[in-house]
Amino acid sequence: MVTPEQHERPEPAEDTRGRGGLPGVLKGLATTARTALRPTHTHEYPDVAPDLPPRSRGVIALLEENCTSCMLCARECPDWCIYIDSHKETIPATTEGGRERQRNVLDRFAIDFSLCMYCGICIEVCPFDALHWSPQFEYAEVDILDLLHEKERLGEWMATVPPPPALDEKAAEPAEVAAASRPARGARGPAGGPGGAGSSRPPRTVRPRVVRGEGDGT
Amino acid sequence: MRHTDRVTSDAPAEPRALDVALGAGGLATADMVLNIGPQHPATHGVLRLKVVLDGERILSAEPVVGYMHRGAEKLFEVRDYRQITVLANRHDWLSAFSSELGVVLGVEQMLGMEVPERAVWLRTLLAEMNRVLSHLMFLGSYPLELGAITPIFYAFREREELQAVMEEASGGRMHYMFNRVGGLKEDVPAGWLGRVAQALAAVRRRLPDLESMLVGNEILLARTRGIGVLDAATVLDYGVSGPIARASGVDLDLRRDDPYLAYGELFAPGGPGRVVTRPEGDCLARLEVLLEQAHVSLDLAGACLDRLHSLPAGPVNQRLPKVLKVPEGELYTATENPLGLNGYYLVSRGEKTPWRLKLRSASFGNVQVLSEVLPGCVVADMVAVLGSMFFVVGDVDK
Repeated sequence: MVTPEQHERPEPAEDTRGRGGLPGVLKGLATTARTALRPTHTHEYPDVAPDLPPRSRGVIALLEENCTSCMLCARECPDWCIYIDSHKETIPATTEGGRERQRNVLDRFAIDFSLCMYCGICIEVCPFDALHWSPQFEYAEVDILDLLHEKERLGEWMATVPPPPALDEKAAEPAEVAAASRPARGARGPAGGPGGAGSSRPPRTVRPRVVRGEGDGT
Repeated sequence: MRHTDRVTSDAPAEPRALDVALGAGGLATADMVLNIGPQHPATHGVLRLKVVLDGERILSAEPVVGYMHRGAEKLFEVRDYRQITVLANRHDWLSAFSSELGVVLGVEQMLGMEVPERAVWLRTLLAEMNRVLSHLMFLGSYPLELGAITPIFYAFREREELQAVMEEASGGRMHYMFNRVGGLKEDVPAGWLGRVAQALAAVRRRLPDLESMLVGNEILLARTRGIGVLDAATVLDYGVSGPIARASGVDLDLRRDDPYLAYGELFAPGGPGRVVTRPEGDCLARLEVLLEQAHVSLDLAGACLDRLHSLPAGPVNQRLPKVLKVPEGELYTATENPLGLNGYYLVSRGEKTPWRLKLRSASFGNVQVLSEVLPGCVVADMVAVLGSMFFVVGDVDK
């Protein structure tokens, strides 16, 4: 069971003990001395903000307009730390003889960050991109009960949400991009102006959304 | 048990009763029972040891576990497989990626799902970086327990380097939550592979700094050589695994012996993978195995990077159904975690949650052998032995 190779062991310690010299200890001290002469590699945190990557899971931000109170996040949460209250509102018909519609109105959306395990499942399952990770982490509280944050506070964190990083060049097209580039839905490219951003792609007419499924074998 | 005796020259082979006579009748005294923990700085966690002492010498030691029991296995039963990943990376918080891996590998195998090649190599890369992270932690904390405070600063500097790239890919510094059934959560950011190469090179370049404090340090050698000798037979009796078993000459490494991920190729003859063993079985051997394994893992990670550069473009995950149900059956999946064998015995009854998911954690075996190793040691060596068993209490108590 014992492999014959890799059997080397440093010189026995008993020999050096008698001589009084401690070459091993001195070697370590030399490293310490060398390191002491080098500039520090630490950052003084409150003065220097840490450089966090965009994917960093700091806090969950809520884009309230996108939330349909479908409860998917609350149900998929491994420890049920999301609280959602909503009620239905009836919107009268806009045209003569039209049908009146029902709409979910979000009354309460709260995340208890004292329970949250920062797994990101809620963000992953949200079908309407209402939840986003933000690298913001400075929300420590003295009382654990103060870590329950309502939708107003969650909404404030939306400003700190960074754009997702570009993917590796060998990566397959992300499902969201693949789905978004297929059916043209209204005006694309909010900042590009009319027809300015995507000049290579002619504007397409609205068509029924294709069920995604093909084209993922890239 | 064998031990080198440095306090007194007469090592008592069997426990002797300590009778102190007081007056005419005499008062028989019992051996002293000392509780180490559950709150004790040397147990890095809430491990409790009940140690019976005869003077300075330990007669018997009983690890009392369970202070951190969170019922992980029971929680698994009411979680779907994505939620289980959340819990699975928490029992051993130093090897979160490797622990996630066991769950998803088992589910994938039961589903008969094939993982894209790019995901396989990325997973291998991340698992090896996770191994370096875990080993660095113990390479820093073990000397700390022996009284050397400096090495942990060097270990943490290298850990930070690796954690930065792990965080950039997964978003987490400890609980990566990057594995999904069928691959990874998402692909890595642009330029990430280059930054990993830089991080690996930086760690490789500066690892000699850490080594200079450990290898050949006379104080460390005096505290660890010949202390807490664990023989191969006891290793097998107690189910000890990982670097501790290999330091006792048990040549077992699942990466080579039961290859998963891309390890079959990496551990093939001529590959960068090799299994580090030591025959001595003492505290020093365990530390040496850990140090050398960190080097091997850096080599493996480098090989994964090379391979990722030459792989064709492709996805890193499979499209999953909304509700993922694992077909009826049972399967034991074991992986070589940084601390040893980590296994999940998954019994599914065709539901979206497992019917039972038994967790075999590495640290549990490594801690229970303390009752064999500690007797015969003196109290001063107890911390040296305890720290050299490289365990995470969360992994013991589950």
